[in-house]
Amino acid sequence: MRVGFQEELDHLEASIHEEGTLALRSLRGALNALVQQDEELADEVIAFDDEIDSRYLAVEEGIQELLARQTPVASDLRLVLAMLHVNLHLERIGDYCVTIAKLVKLAPPVAPDRMFVDAFEEMGARAEEMIRVALDSFASRDLEQAETLVDLDELIDRANRRFVQQVLSFGRDPKLHEWGLRMIIVSRCFERIGDHAVDIGERTAYLVSGEFREFTDASHPNN
Amino acid sequence: MSVTDTSRTVKIAADLNRTPAPQHKDVVFDVKDVGVSYDGNLAVREVSLPIYSNEVTAIIGPSGCGKSTFIRVFNRMNDLIPGAKVHGTVLYHGEDLYGKDVDSVEVRKQIGMVFQKPNPFPKSIYDNVAFGPRVLGWRKGLEERVEQALRRAALWDEVKDRLKKNALGLSGGQQQRLCIARALATEPEVILMDEPASALDPIATTRIEDLMHELKRDYTILIVTHNMQQAARVADMTAFFSVDIAPEGDRTGILVEYDETSKIFTQPSDQRTEDYVTGRFG
Repeated sequence: MRVGFQEELDHLEASIHEEGTLALRSLRGALNALVQQDEELADEVIAFDDEIDSRYLAVEEGIQELLARQTPVASDLRLVLAMLHVNLHLERIGDYCVTIAKLVKLAPPVAPDRMFVDAFEEMGARAEEMIRVALDSFASRDLEQAETLVDLDELIDRANRRFVQQVLSFGRDPKLHEWGLRMIIVSRCFERIGDHAVDIGERTAYLVSGEFREFTDASHPNN
Repeated sequence: MSVTDTSRTVKIAADLNRTPAPQHKDVVFDVKDVGVSYDGNLAVREVSLPIYSNEVTAIIGPSGCGKSTFIRVFNRMNDLIPGAKVHGTVLYHGEDLYGKDVDSVEVRKQIGMVFQKPNPFPKSIYDNVAFGPRVLGWRKGLEERVEQALRRAALWDEVKDRLKKNALGLSGGQQQRLCIARALATEPEVILMDEPASALDPIATTRIEDLMHELKRDYTILIVTHNMQQAARVADMTAFFSVDIAPEGDRTGILVEYDETSKIFTQPSDQRTEDYVTGRFG
């Protein structure tokens, strides 16, 4: 039994989950800044990304050292490779939160209709749930739970499409137009966060089964 | 280049669909239900596997799993051990290696062996390599034969100016390559290597591993190694052996898994293989 090696693996996986918790905090911050139009909070979210980035770099360095020194094989190798990907997905989720925060500051101060606030809250809550499901299924190596991300992703995709439709129905007010364009990008950020959560689920499937497959594949829709 | 360029996208699709399925060459040995016993005690139990030509096949496993016993089946080295008995069938190009009419000396000419500790004769470098051909009565072209064997063993440049010097003056790594040259001089088809690098430093080990990579173009190589990473680096196929301990304490070597080396080290099928290669064994 390679005790030191196992400890290093466990430590890396714990760091990944801490990074996930930071990404969730960033997402909650971005969502609150958005619905409350709170530019101060948006600035905090932007600054907070350094925390996620430093965790991301620490995990990557840890993986580099582990590969160089311990030569993992079989399920250990799959875990290390899966963590390498999950690490990057979480960092990207953090980046989307920063984009949302920046758009909060850039968008003209239009008082949005309650309908749009509800739409953001729905997408934010769905994105949070997807990240939690992705991280939990990774931690418990639960393939079945990971596969539920496909259905959750469909819900966030639909919410995104509905939002775009609502923005397209705006009148001719130029301020509303600019707000709408920027908010389409916000909506798209939530939708992309969902995609990254699905990708984490695919890594769980790879870790458990040893075979990589996309849960859904636009280029092979019948698979 | 636009993605709507059909010639381009067709090419991409063709590349994606190309499945690099492992292509094995001919079967050199077909091992069927082979076991080895010493004085009636079973040391290795009922192993069946094919050995492919021009590949490196590694045999890995913990101490006492019968790796060395098993590799000696292939050149009938167990014949030399009193009380040793080989059961089952070993077909060498379809012929029974243990058939009545088969001459074990002829077998060992075809199937050379290199051992853990370099064991050159206390003779000159030249005489070490010339020994096998002389025994076989191959007098003609002996110098060329010696040179060719030393070149194939990647030793020629280091020894060409001191062929008459005693082989024991060479470094450990050079002595091991000399032993490989000695095995090659009788023009074998197969080379068995029992822990060929375990007594060598890392640089000499790398040279032996590079040499295996070169030699498999012309030879079939079987290697026993306790160094799993060495197996991962050099072998095309890997057989994992383990020890089965009976309730009364008898220990028998068994073949657990035999597959492409890349499969053994990324996705082994058997939990025992997984536990061994990840270091969770014992």
